[in-house]
Amino acid sequence: MSGEKQLVTGSNGFLGTAFVDRLLSRGEKGVRCLVRPGSDRSKLDAVLRKHPGADVEIIQGSLSSVEEAAKLLQGVGVVHHLAAAVGAPPADMFLGTVVATKNLLEAMLAMKPVPKLVLISSFGVYGVAEMPRGAVIDESTPLENHPEKRDIYSHSKLRQEQLVWDYYKKQKFPLVILRPGVIYGPHGGAMSSRVGIKFPGMFLYLGFKNVLPLSYVDNCAEAICVAAKNARFDGDVYNVHDDELLTCAEFLARYRKEVEPLRVVPLPYPALKLVSKAVESYHKYSKGQLPALFTPYKSATTWGGNRFSNAKLHSLGWKPIVTTEEALRRTFEALRSRMAKAS
Amino acid sequence: MTLKIAIVGCGKIADGHVEEIGKMGDRARVVAACDKELLMAEQIAERYQIPACYDDAARMLAAEKPDVVHLTTPPQSHLPLAKLCMDAGAHVFVEKPFTLHYADSQKLIEHAEKTGKKVTIGYTYLLDQPSLEIRKLRREGLLGDVVHVESFYGYNLGGAFGQALLGDPGHWVHSLPGKLFHNTIDHPFSKIIEFIPDDEPEVHAFGHVQRESRHYGDARDHLMDELRVLIRGKKVTAYITFSAHIRPAAHFVRIYGTKNTIHADYTSRTVTFDANPSLPSAIGRVVPAFEQAARFAREGIKNAGKFARSDFHFFAGLQNLFKSFYDSIEHGTELPISYRDILRIAKMMDDIFEKLDQTGGQKSGSRGDA
Repeated sequence: MSGEKQLVTGSNGFLGTAFVDRLLSRGEKGVRCLVRPGSDRSKLDAVLRKHPGADVEIIQGSLSSVEEAAKLLQGVGVVHHLAAAVGAPPADMFLGTVVATKNLLEAMLAMKPVPKLVLISSFGVYGVAEMPRGAVIDESTPLENHPEKRDIYSHSKLRQEQLVWDYYKKQKFPLVILRPGVIYGPHGGAMSSRVGIKFPGMFLYLGFKNVLPLSYVDNCAEAICVAAKNARFDGDVYNVHDDELLTCAEFLARYRKEVEPLRVVPLPYPALKLVSKAVESYHKYSKGQLPALFTPYKSATTWGGNRFSNAKLHSLGWKPIVTTEEALRRTFEALRSRMAKAS
Repeated sequence: MTLKIAIVGCGKIADGHVEEIGKMGDRARVVAACDKELLMAEQIAERYQIPACYDDAARMLAAEKPDVVHLTTPPQSHLPLAKLCMDAGAHVFVEKPFTLHYADSQKLIEHAEKTGKKVTIGYTYLLDQPSLEIRKLRREGLLGDVVHVESFYGYNLGGAFGQALLGDPGHWVHSLPGKLFHNTIDHPFSKIIEFIPDDEPEVHAFGHVQRESRHYGDARDHLMDELRVLIRGKKVTAYITFSAHIRPAAHFVRIYGTKNTIHADYTSRTVTFDANPSLPSAIGRVVPAFEQAARFAREGIKNAGKFARSDFHFFAGLQNLFKSFYDSIEHGTELPISYRDILRIAKMMDDIFEKLDQTGGQKSGSRGDA
């Protein structure tokens, strides 16, 4: 049976809580927030407290089987699929992202009519390693051909999206895909690896003048809301990032000024390429005694330097609801506060 | 001859198996990955260039005819899958725990003997560097007679596996007779079993739930996270400690002999003798610390040398175990782990789990004694 409910998977995650907040702020009704049993609901609960009387429910469950997924879908007309595994071993990443999506799709496609699917994918699915420096990444950029050469997050997100396309080709269903860049905000991580990597006592600076495809979490949430309302749902795809993009150098300078000084060790891209070759060679020579943190392929993907376009997202009527200046202020203030508490 | 290996079960630990086999050159090659969820078989195949994927073990066995199958599935499936593999002509490497019960372990070994196939279990640390060093020192007579052994196994419930099972009431660990202990205490047992000669030593155990955050309202609330075991043989006694709260989450064995006491740290891979002051008076209190420092420095230099020679891999013990098992298959050498030891550990684990109440039956502290 179809319905008016809107299922939000990953609703108590970083993006999920911001998205639920946006949905309720926009007066959306029938919001069903999926949370896993025993997971930390404190941030989601705080969001719900902001919206007393809102038409929202929390449902405990999982996407670990088709049957479980089917239970969550009763009365649902739109699925906002934000759930994805992060920071876990590879098998768990695939289980939590790819297998979970398969179970969701199987359960959805058994329904009549099939609910709309808003899939939150990632910039990580693009194959940019062989693109020239400064090339513009937009929705027509080809998907990654060598996922096995990438980090596990990108690999699992790519496989997730490919799986959705496979199902879509077999049986057309209402589908829109959003590919956000670097989502940031007060409850997120401190620094994208596109800027550099934090080690104990030092920060390895890798991004320099590369453009950082930042997407403030509330702006990203707004983009999902707008896409759910205005997209064609014919398999259309939208990149999601803010309008005023900083370079890595600008971001790092502000971070050092407003959050913590950091001891920065710069590694320019030509030097990084040499280091990456050396790390990959050592990895092979030592038969994997140390992980290949840097490889020429990964480095070209992350630090090769691209530009980005969100023109297609604008065509849907999306506008950022928080300026970059305000977004940075909120984020850095939260990071400062978090660090003060930790110390 | 290159052994054809198949992996059945493509979860976390399967990565470790595939990586270590991949380092063995022409000795062995993974020819197929199999998981009842084909996507899981595909992901490991894609990452490690495994040529074939299956979602059905019987079909995989018929098509690939592997020499050895590594079972890295949850233990509930070990007995039926191992029998299926042996019936199809494959030897079987089973991840720990071997099966759910001693009786099932007996059945599995009987089936191996009936079919003329070999089976072993993933006691990773048995052939890890510290264990090899302890054996060498023992052979050299530096321990004397073993009087007592101690095996400490620290665990981090905040790690990936701990979070997975605490986050999911349907996780397969919750349906094991010994819950979390069932999936872990093979390790502390396997490192000391060789020092306990008795067939059926006396086993006492108690466990409890130490963590305070118990709010799930399901099986997870009663999942014990602290275990103490006392084993009494005719000549040797042993302690086993499993702790999810003591920090650091150490991982060591102490062997108390009539000549010396050895401390083997499996985290830092150091094996040292306890200090034995030989000088008189206050001097005898000053010198041992320097002797200990020198011992640790020697171990550090030895490990650094191994690292420089690319011989200091995380799963080195697992690879040694694979090689030993494959030798046994190809050249008829002794199995790395005797069936007697597998069964003795299975029996002791049964003894412990039968008496620990992890169902919430004993509400006053969820404490059980065996």
